[in-house]
This record gives sequence, C-alpha cells and structure tokens, in this order.
Amino acid sequence: MNFGLSQKELTLREEIRRFAQAELPPGWRRTTLIDGECRDFDFEVSMSRKLAQRGWLVMSWPEQYGGRDASLMEQTVYEMEVAYWGIPGALMGISGTQWVGPCLMLFGTEEQKKKYLPLIASGEKDGIWCTGYSEPNAGSDFANIRTRAVKEGDNYIINGQKIWTSAAHRARWCWLAARTDFNVAKKHHGISIFIVDMKSPGVTVNPILNYYGRHHFNEVFFDNVEVPVSNLVGEENRGWYLLMQSLAFERRSIAPMTYGNFKWVLEQLIEYANQTKYKSRLLSQNPMFRNKLAELAIDLETLKLFAFQVAWRIGRGEIPVYESSRNKIMSDEVMKRVAIVGAEILGIYSQADPDSEWAQMNGAVHGAYLGFPGQAIAAGTAEVEKSIIAQFKLGLPKSY
Amino acid sequence: MDFSLTEQQEMLRLSARGFLSTECPKARVRELDRDEKGYDPHLWHRMAELGWLGLVFPEEYGGMAGSFLDLTILMEEMGRNLVPVPFFSTIALCALPLLEYGTPEQKKRFLPQIAKGEAIWTLALLESSGKYEAAEIRLKAVLRDKNYLIHGRKLFVPDAHIADYILVAARTEESKRLEDGITLFIVDAKAPNMKIDIMPTIGGNKQCRVSFDRVRAHEDSIVGTASDGWQVLDFILQRAAVLKCAEASGACQAILDMANSYAKERIQFDRPIGSFQAIQHRLADMLIEVEAVQYLLYQAAWGISVGLPSRWQISAAKAKANQVFQQICIHAIGIHGAIGYTMDHDVGLYYRRAKAMEFAGGDSDIHREIVASELGL
Repeated sequence: MNFGLSQKELTLREEIRRFAQAELPPGWRRTTLIDGECRDFDFEVSMSRKLAQRGWLVMSWPEQYGGRDASLMEQTVYEMEVAYWGIPGALMGISGTQWVGPCLMLFGTEEQKKKYLPLIASGEKDGIWCTGYSEPNAGSDFANIRTRAVKEGDNYIINGQKIWTSAAHRARWCWLAARTDFNVAKKHHGISIFIVDMKSPGVTVNPILNYYGRHHFNEVFFDNVEVPVSNLVGEENRGWYLLMQSLAFERRSIAPMTYGNFKWVLEQLIEYANQTKYKSRLLSQNPMFRNKLAELAIDLETLKLFAFQVAWRIGRGEIPVYESSRNKIMSDEVMKRVAIVGAEILGIYSQADPDSEWAQMNGAVHGAYLGFPGQAIAAGTAEVEKSIIAQFKLGLPKSY
Repeated sequence: MDFSLTEQQEMLRLSARGFLSTECPKARVRELDRDEKGYDPHLWHRMAELGWLGLVFPEEYGGMAGSFLDLTILMEEMGRNLVPVPFFSTIALCALPLLEYGTPEQKKRFLPQIAKGEAIWTLALLESSGKYEAAEIRLKAVLRDKNYLIHGRKLFVPDAHIADYILVAARTEESKRLEDGITLFIVDAKAPNMKIDIMPTIGGNKQCRVSFDRVRAHEDSIVGTASDGWQVLDFILQRAAVLKCAEASGACQAILDMANSYAKERIQFDRPIGSFQAIQHRLADMLIEVEAVQYLLYQAAWGISVGLPSRWQISAAKAKANQVFQQICIHAIGIHGAIGYTMDHDVGLYYRRAKAMEFAGGDSDIHREIVASELGL
C-alpha cells in the first residue's frame, strides 16, 4: 500500500496552483462552480483553451488525440486541483472531456475519432458537447426513451424531445440516445447513440431556469433532424452498453471534482470560524462547530480516498462496477453536509443572495446550499445508485 | 498511490482468516463471554506458535520483523471474529511502547516472553473521568530512595485480571503543563498491595478496576523517561487507536456479511427480504460506511508504517470507526428482526462490544477534537 502522491503528481498539482494564481482574476468569484459553469462564457472558453495548450484538458488521452498519455491518477489529481481553485472551463461543459471522448475511443469509428477527439482536446467552442439522455418520461427509468431515429437512405431522421440537457445552449454537438427499434422484448434493447450537430435544421433549444434563476439546463426538441449514418456510434440497437459505460465515466469524475471544490469551501469555513466572534468568543472555539467541522473533514478525506481508489483500479486495467455509484453517493453526501453545516455556521446570513455583498466567502456556502439538491439528482439519484450497489456488489435481486 | 496488499500480506490475511474461523467459532466467543477469565489460553498459545504475538518484533526478540501495516491486517481479522485473547492489551498497549522506548534490558527480558505467549500485559491509564487526556492522570507515584510508591486507582483496564505485568501511568511531578510530570511504570500484576476487580460491562469482555495501595516500583521499571511519560502515552494512543480501528473494521465487515446473507435467506411476502429496496438501500449505506472505515484505516496504518506524521489520519479513522461500528450493528439487528435481538445470534454480541471498541483507543470526541486542532481551528 501507498497513500502518497508521486513526485510527478505533486509537481502537476503545483503547476496547476501556479496556473490558477496567474490566470484567474484577483478575488475570483466562484459562487456555484458545482454547476461546472461560469457566467462569463467567453472567459470560460479562454480558460479551456489555455488548459488545452498546457496539455491538461484531456491529459489522460493518447497523444494522437490531443492528450498526453497521463495516468488516471494524474487526471484525478488534476480534477481535484482545478475544482479546488475553481478554474472555469476545465470540463468544457462536461460531456466532451469526461465521457464522449472516452466512449469514442472505445466504440467510435476511426473517422469519428479523428474528427471529434482533437476538437474536444482543442478547448475551442466547437469542442463543446451536451448529452441527450433524459426525457420527460425517462428519468431514473431511462430505458423508457421515446425519441426515435429512423433510417432513411444515408441518414437517420430524428424526432423527439430531451430534457434537463446541461449546456445544450453552449454545445456544438449532442451525444444523443434515441430509439431505433420499438419492437423489442426488453426496453433497454433497441437504443442507439448518435452524434448530432446542434446547428442542424430542426434542433430547438429552450432554456429551463433552475430554482435560483440560473440557466444551466435546457429542453431540446428534434423535429425531423437529419443525421448522417456515419454519425451512429457503435452498433445500431446496442447503445445501452455505451450508455452504461458513459455513466460510469461520468460518475467517476464527480468525486474528484466534488472533493476539490468542497475542500476549498471547508478551508473557507475554517478561516471564517477562526475570525468571527460571537459573545466575545471565536466560532472556532465553540465545541459544537469544532466537532462538526472535524466530521466534515473526515467525510471529505473519505471521498478523496474513494476517488483515488477508483482511479487506481482503472489504472490496473480493472473496471470498477459499484465503486462509481458509491463515490457518487458519497459526493452528494459531502456536498449536502458541507452546505448544511456551512449554513449553520453563517447563521442568519446564510440566506443572503450569493451575489450580494452580504454573502460571506464569495457566496461559496450559499452556492453549495442552493446547488446540492440538483447535483444529487444529476447522473443518478441516491436511490438508483444504492440499487446498483445492492445488485452488483451485494448480489441482491434486481429491485426496479 | 497503491491500494493493494503485498503477496505476503494477502497470505497473512487469508491464513489468519482461515485459522480463526476454525479455531475460534462464535459459540466459543459467547461461551467465554460468561467465563471468569474470559479468554482462551489454548488459542493464545497457538497464536504465539504462529508467530503472531511477535509479528512486529525484531528477530533477536523472537519476532518476525513485520510492519505495523501487517499488524493492522492481522488485527482486522481478529476483530472480524471477536477473538477472545488479550492481544490488543499485550501487543498494542504494551509491547509496541516497550519496543520503542524500553531499555535494552527491558526489551531483552520482556519481549521474548511476550512473543512466546508466556506473559500477558496491559496498560492502566484511565481514571474516573474515563478520558484519554493528560490532565486526567491523577494517580500518584512518589519517589522514596530508589523506589516509587504508587497510590491510587485505575479504571477500565482491559485484561488486568489475567495480566502478568501492568504498565501504569502515574503523576510523579506537579507541573503547570499537564502533559509534564507523568511517568510510565512496569508493575508486576501480582505485586503486594494491589487489588484487581472486574467491572462488569455489557460487552462481556473483561475490564478491571486496579487499586494501588503504596505499590512499590523500582526506577529501573520506568518506560521512557521519568516525568516525560506523556510522550510514550501519545505514542501508544496513536497506535492503539489504529489497531482498535482495525478490529472495528474487521468486525464491521463481518456484520455486513451476516446481514447481507440473512437478507438473501429470509423469506417474507414470498420473497427474500433482500429484494426490497428498503433493505437493499440500508445494506448499500452500510457497505459505503464500512469501506470508508477500511480506507481511512489503511491510510493511517500505512502512515505509521512508513514513519510519516499521521495524527490527523489516525484520528479521522478512529472517529469514523466509532460511529460506523455502532451504526452498522443497529442496522444489522434491524435487518435480522427479532432473531437479531436474541442471545443465540451473533449480531447482538457485536453490538454489545461496540461500546468497548468505541472507548478503547480514544472516543469520538477526543479524536474529532484532534482533527479540529490539526485543521487549524
């Protein structure tokens, strides 16, 4: 066993720290980076480009596709560190760098790899993807999707609706799950994955504001959208396996990002507790807060170990099955606990608008408090994840 | 980072698991629960033969020169079976500090005995407050010529009733800093003027009140430096916390396995109760918590093994284990239903031991306080 970082990993962390200090404006306001999005889109893209130039954006990809063959352990360190500093654009709207690219490397044609991977790796706007999975009647029961793709000559014609589509208003491409066969015994058969150009005629993107007024996700309509057959990824009707693989990739990256982000928030809270007095005593001298902050630190440490354990397993060529679900649940728990304890420490000020002068720590806790219930749903609810653990790790019967 | 065990460590784990499951069935553990001595001398000697008692001693003292991580792995397996032997008391609380702070004479005299299973040791530390803090050590030892006279009372001393030697933490000097003025003595457990009574506990594992009425201890019996004993105690507490955490980790895995198997066997509403999400999600929560304890534990044990300062990691692991062990037991009893509430079932035995596990090696408050201080609060 060894729980230390290698010299290479430590150096990388130091390089990212220096990058963050040089490239981020003084007093960089992070608010809710758990949404992975910054409100100044041009600034975000400029940062993606700079990360790409350093070879960090997709560092674990092979060099031929714009990466630098870094280990997944290094990639994990990178994810923790960019989240810690709140560097925008590090995930390029998430989909492309985190699962579209890795899935294309596994299942894409040579032509698809050559066309799309370098685009993602470039950090340019044309490399931004969204993912069309959820539909109004296909949430946790995702195999219920009704969006259909019908083959006509050299094209598939796509009709249907997607919802909760993150970054669709920014994306140039959509990684789309559609039904290619309705006459199947089991509904997770007959699904296929397509690459859709979001500039295609018939694609309409409508914003959906979240409960605090941010535009992060969308509904997307497909009205007779033509997609060339060469944009089918993998085999027709066998998209379910790709989907599961993509979700595993997605769930893997959540833990390192959450760890980095909330490590920063915890440090801010500690500083705040060390400086703020109530009844002539520092908050940090209050045993209740000391106890609660210590518990948060222990939870965060657990999340860190879980994140590295998954990276380690993948690095050994193994495929984590239940671990990504475990890590997703733990990430959500950490977010929730930091947000709730953080709000307790801030007291009445915890209700201030994160953008207002009344919000302490640049609104970090406020953003977390607003954001965590939504983040806990994205990529699989706790209930879905626990059922996965029960089935695949504990060997219990499928229950859904 | 590397989360894997070496081939030797894997072997140690497997052989310990195999040996303990045959040599130490739960029925035997429950039987010893009600026994006056409460331990299995035969098992103790078998463990000495296997080299487990001297696992981390250098070869010159009859040991196998294993690492602290090896010891952690062994302890995890012992915790899985709630093995009724004074291993924690003898090795974690006494042999490790003797190895680190003992004089050459002390090591030569005592360590080979321990390795052979010929001497049982324990540490008398806690007093009426039951807290692992320097300020709470009030029992006095007064120097008269070359001898100290120890006077006072210690509580919750594990296995003192079967011990041959007791390490006693005593106050030898009054000083402003409460960590100063503490000295650690080796006392013969059969010495005159000592009285040892068992404190009945819900766990059935034996803890004692040890009363000292002007018990004599020679200067040569000091471990470490006179009046600088807190340093030794701090060394002990860090290791005791990790090794207790290891026991808890093994026990947690055993309980989870038990509850999971039961969920698959128990039929209600014409199907296994493990097919219901209410049960599944409870088991999934348990699994996550058990793995949290495991990784926090391994990180801390690795840190000690390679000599890194690990105070933070140690306390994180123990605080987590304390909380999880109790919670896992409560979940497991809930999953078992009424049978889990009976004398005949093992799960209740683990639950009754939860409190002993929690307080040995430091309670949650103390460890969270250490984490808080290390965080800079």
